[in-house]
Amino acid sequence: MSGLGWGLKSLRRHRLRAVLSVAGIAISAALLLDMVMLSGGIERSFTELLLSRGYQIRLTPKGTLPFDTEATLTGAGRLVEAIRRVPAVAAAGAVLGTSLHARRGDSLVTLFGYGIQPEAQALYTMLSGSDLAPGDSSGVLLSEPASRLLHAAVGDSVTLIGRLDPQVVTERLGRTLKVSGIVRWVYDYRGQPSVGTVLSVMQSLAGQRRDDRASLLTVRAEDDSLAATVAAGLRREFPQLEVNSVADLVRHFKQRLVYFRQLAYILGSMSLVVTVLLIGTLLTINVNERLGEIATLRALGISRRTVVREIMLEGAVLTTVGSIIGIVLGLVTARYLDGILTSFPGLPAAFSFFVPRRDSLATAGIVLLLTGTLAALYPAWLAATSPVAATLRAEAT
Amino acid sequence: MTPLVRQSGRLLVLVTMTLSTRLPAQLPEIAIERRLASELDLAVGDTIRLGPAADSIRFAGVVAAIYEPRSDPAEIAKGEWHLRMHLPDLTRLLGTPDRVDRLSIGLRGGISADSAAARLNRSAYGYRAHSSRVIASESSQTFRVVSRFHRAIAIITIVASAVFLLCIMLLKVEERRLDAAVMRFVGVRRRTIFGALLLEAVLVAALGSLLGTGLAYLAGAATNAYYRRFFDTLLTFSLITPDIIWFSVMLSLVLGAGAGAVAAWRLVHTKPLVLWGRG
Repeated sequence: MSGLGWGLKSLRRHRLRAVLSVAGIAISAALLLDMVMLSGGIERSFTELLLSRGYQIRLTPKGTLPFDTEATLTGAGRLVEAIRRVPAVAAAGAVLGTSLHARRGDSLVTLFGYGIQPEAQALYTMLSGSDLAPGDSSGVLLSEPASRLLHAAVGDSVTLIGRLDPQVVTERLGRTLKVSGIVRWVYDYRGQPSVGTVLSVMQSLAGQRRDDRASLLTVRAEDDSLAATVAAGLRREFPQLEVNSVADLVRHFKQRLVYFRQLAYILGSMSLVVTVLLIGTLLTINVNERLGEIATLRALGISRRTVVREIMLEGAVLTTVGSIIGIVLGLVTARYLDGILTSFPGLPAAFSFFVPRRDSLATAGIVLLLTGTLAALYPAWLAATSPVAATLRAEAT
Repeated sequence: MTPLVRQSGRLLVLVTMTLSTRLPAQLPEIAIERRLASELDLAVGDTIRLGPAADSIRFAGVVAAIYEPRSDPAEIAKGEWHLRMHLPDLTRLLGTPDRVDRLSIGLRGGISADSAAARLNRSAYGYRAHSSRVIASESSQTFRVVSRFHRAIAIITIVASAVFLLCIMLLKVEERRLDAAVMRFVGVRRRTIFGALLLEAVLVAALGSLLGTGLAYLAGAATNAYYRRFFDTLLTFSLITPDIIWFSVMLSLVLGAGAGAVAAWRLVHTKPLVLWGRG
């Protein structure tokens, strides 16, 4: 009988305990997979989000992160021109973020407004209609939620209001614009009603035109491999600005979500401990019950190495079966858990905490298989070192 | 004017009074949070310069106080430092005279905050009134999400622990096969053996629960110590309540007894010779 057959026969002999063990391993495997996905998923998802438009560098007011505060930088046009002249910079653009209002019937609704430079924008992808042309001061782009909120489609007109004056109950800085297109803003949270105009229009609406203010500048290096060098060069050239590459931003973001990574490590480790205990206990009891059988095999000339291999194979069988079920279970629970965490207020809708990838599955599978096999070491040692003669004598009496 | 508006007016007057008591030659006073003071090695009486941007740090102020901010779970992960200034000083520094983000209103006794907010919103233009309860509810959304996530993880770990416990109890009882066989050979009744095995399972579950409770307290203390140090805060991260202990212990006992009963029932209904390994 092959080693695998011997292991399976042994497990079949005690079906209930084998089924319970497999169930325990499956749940542990599911938890481990989820935690492996969580620990790496945050970083991957955020990186993908930042690089979705190919822009690898962000410049913000000193000491701030993009859209983290309401701080703005002055002389955006001058800065963008200077950055575009830097060697290895393929594109650079300025963005102004502000809150503004729009008229819907006889009431006002609040929106988020992006001022962008369409020739170098890192914030949206077109869904329908046409993009704004550089310098198009009569067009506006809407997100789908904004389109629904304002009952406006491509070709319709919307009136945006930059400031309301509660003292005299009047609207200031208003502008009527024609909807050019419907877009998906990359960093919008779920259901966020956002609109976008060219930078100068949004600056006028926000009362930020005089100083040519922007919330951030986005820069695309000619090649991803040049991003770090370009960022270092920009840091030297613009010491009054905060220059962050995607790697820097990911580091900041990871720092903020450090709790989830640590939780992932702790729960992942706990699931491995449970797996070791389950397999170790089950196999130890199985071996203790079969000491006579093992002693007989040893007396017939079966080597210690063979006995050890069979016991470890038994552990590997249990782990493999449990892991296969666990991976399916883990993918289902990851979807559910991701649904909970992505409901964080203000989190970009495109962000995901649990990212199922081939390498996550492979890591969880390999770690579990190694753990399960190693957990069988003690029972295997017990089986290999049991005294043959004494065990056979004890079995005979 | 409604009582609400009068109250908000009083707030502005208070600020003006604070300003009027200041000598013209004095520098504006600034209160700095302890972590920032420690990071910049600042003490009361030191003069610092501030500005709205890195290239316009022209506003001088004197450190009048160093304070310990109230622990706020929403802020700890941001790693931001705070300082406090008199409102006119700050608006002057930012170049936004007479502009504020929000106004706080204290109501006279007996007035409902929700109805006052609704009344203000009926005539609101360019602002929105919210009661403190609504703001607290909105700003605790993040923690509700974290709480839901914790609950989901807890359910998974409880299921895993339950299966683990069932498995261990089953193995524990099955380990007594020979003892059960001997008892059956000498005429001990099935019911007695079943009772003994069940009692043993309950005792093991009870001991395990006690040990688990102790471990939970240790893990909770370690978690609090680690995160308090990590975030430099006094917040409590792990809180073990009597309800949690009660739930966990009861679950362990019920599962332990249930698993023990199933295993014992199987054992007492197996022929003694089979239990002895000769069947």
